[in-house]
Amino acid sequence: MPVDSASLSTSEHAAGAGISSDALVQVRGLRTRIGGKIIFDGLDLEVPRGSVTAIMGPSGTGKTTLLRHLTGQLRPDAGSVRVDGREVTTLSRHALFELRERIGFLFQNSALLTDFSVFENVAFPLRQHTRLPEELIRNVVLTKLQAVGLRGAANLMPSELSGGMARRVALARAIVFDPMLILYDEPFVGLDPIALNQVLRLIATLNRTLGITSILVAHELAAVRRVAHHVYLIADGRLVAQGAPDQLAREDSPWTRQFFGGEADGPVPFQYPAPDYAADLGFAGAAR
Amino acid sequence: MSANLRRNFMLDGIARAGECGLFFVAVIAALPGSLRHLRELCRQVWFVGAMSLVIVMTCGLFVGMVLALQLYYTLSIFGGTAALGTVVALSLFRELGPVVTALLVAGRAGTAVTAEIGLMRATDQLDAMAMMAVDPMAYVAAPRFLAGVIAMPLLACVFNAMGIFGGHLVGVTWLGLDNGTFWGNMTATVDLYKDVLDGFYKSIVFGGVVSLIAVFQGYTAPPTSEGVAYSTTRTVVFSSIVILALDFVMTAFLT
Repeated sequence: MPVDSASLSTSEHAAGAGISSDALVQVRGLRTRIGGKIIFDGLDLEVPRGSVTAIMGPSGTGKTTLLRHLTGQLRPDAGSVRVDGREVTTLSRHALFELRERIGFLFQNSALLTDFSVFENVAFPLRQHTRLPEELIRNVVLTKLQAVGLRGAANLMPSELSGGMARRVALARAIVFDPMLILYDEPFVGLDPIALNQVLRLIATLNRTLGITSILVAHELAAVRRVAHHVYLIADGRLVAQGAPDQLAREDSPWTRQFFGGEADGPVPFQYPAPDYAADLGFAGAAR
Repeated sequence: MSANLRRNFMLDGIARAGECGLFFVAVIAALPGSLRHLRELCRQVWFVGAMSLVIVMTCGLFVGMVLALQLYYTLSIFGGTAALGTVVALSLFRELGPVVTALLVAGRAGTAVTAEIGLMRATDQLDAMAMMAVDPMAYVAAPRFLAGVIAMPLLACVFNAMGIFGGHLVGVTWLGLDNGTFWGNMTATVDLYKDVLDGFYKSIVFGGVVSLIAVFQGYTAPPTSEGVAYSTTRTVVFSSIVILALDFVMTAFLT
């Protein structure tokens, strides 16, 4: 795992300072349509190596879809997605699987394999892709579990874990191969303040000590502010704002005002698109 | 049901059948990759095979017993009760063994496979595997399919053995037929290639069909509790229909 000295010196709140300029992830002119609905309409963004980048936006704007584009689980209708210099949209299945071995993905609901214990869940990628001796697997798995503070829970089954613990186990599994990139899909949802802080600290630590580039999709502004160097605000299928979290929160555009101010009405309307209200209630003729 | 709705229903059915055909091709393509997951294959053979033994043995015993009772009555009309062993064995080997075993396995193991895969899909476990660069078709679908193909003929053999034992119990022990006649006529008439092997082929095909339907239904189950429930039901319904229809076709071709 190459760690550039710049990212090692980056502090948790450095807001992107000292990040090397080359992009690990590069999205250009992304267009996607799912079931007739336009999700992305020409989206461009870049994630520098060694940074923590947050992707925010109103629900249903396709933030998770974007993550699925980055891993090639979903192919866009048009545009380019480059990860570590490789064009994901045209990679063969084999090459895609090779790339995925170097990407960690934290699912919103953790997605632990329910048949296996915590230990076996973390060991799963190792067992599938390597022929390491049992002793070494044990050491690697216990090291990763220690990093997330759950070495003592190695023998528990996923059904015995709380939501926060399950997410930390999933994180241990995601980093078992020391990936170059981790994608976090809503890592803070449903966590109590303690668990949230634990996950937050893990994300920051992984980025700082191992130089792992992180992309996180989240809604929690306060949490994002503490960990992210850069924020992309996506709405209506395109990028509406970007910048360091603090700078973005101060910016005065309708989108940032509504999103960061939490206003109920604005560019994202309170009302779902509907026919004329009076007509719907049968008063159409009454409009004199 | 309006004509339009009926047409949609038919089109949906044809589309699903086509989807299932493509899924079959994908499973076959994933088979070589699944050989890397031998442990998983063994686990599935154990689950489909060994765990179904009790129900298959119990049902085999009773089917053999009732078969002997009914056939004894019918044969006694023509004074041919000496052929009881032969008729029981032929009915079991050629027909009841493969078919009833397949129906039982569809109900016991097929439903479990569908529900398991459906829930794995609903909880993102299949996506998580794909993200860990483990092909879920090779790790989840193919071993379960192969396990059905391996376990079904073995279970049918056990079913047949228990059935003949049940027939013997009723015919010889209870109704007082001569033991030697029972076995002698049976072994003289039942042909290994024509009768036993035909049934064996049938159960291999049924094993493939039942596990293909179960895995397909699970894999394509909508990720909701209702969706998984529907898919589980469909596994039993479709398996039963396809087994019985295919049984007719295969019998027509094999004899």
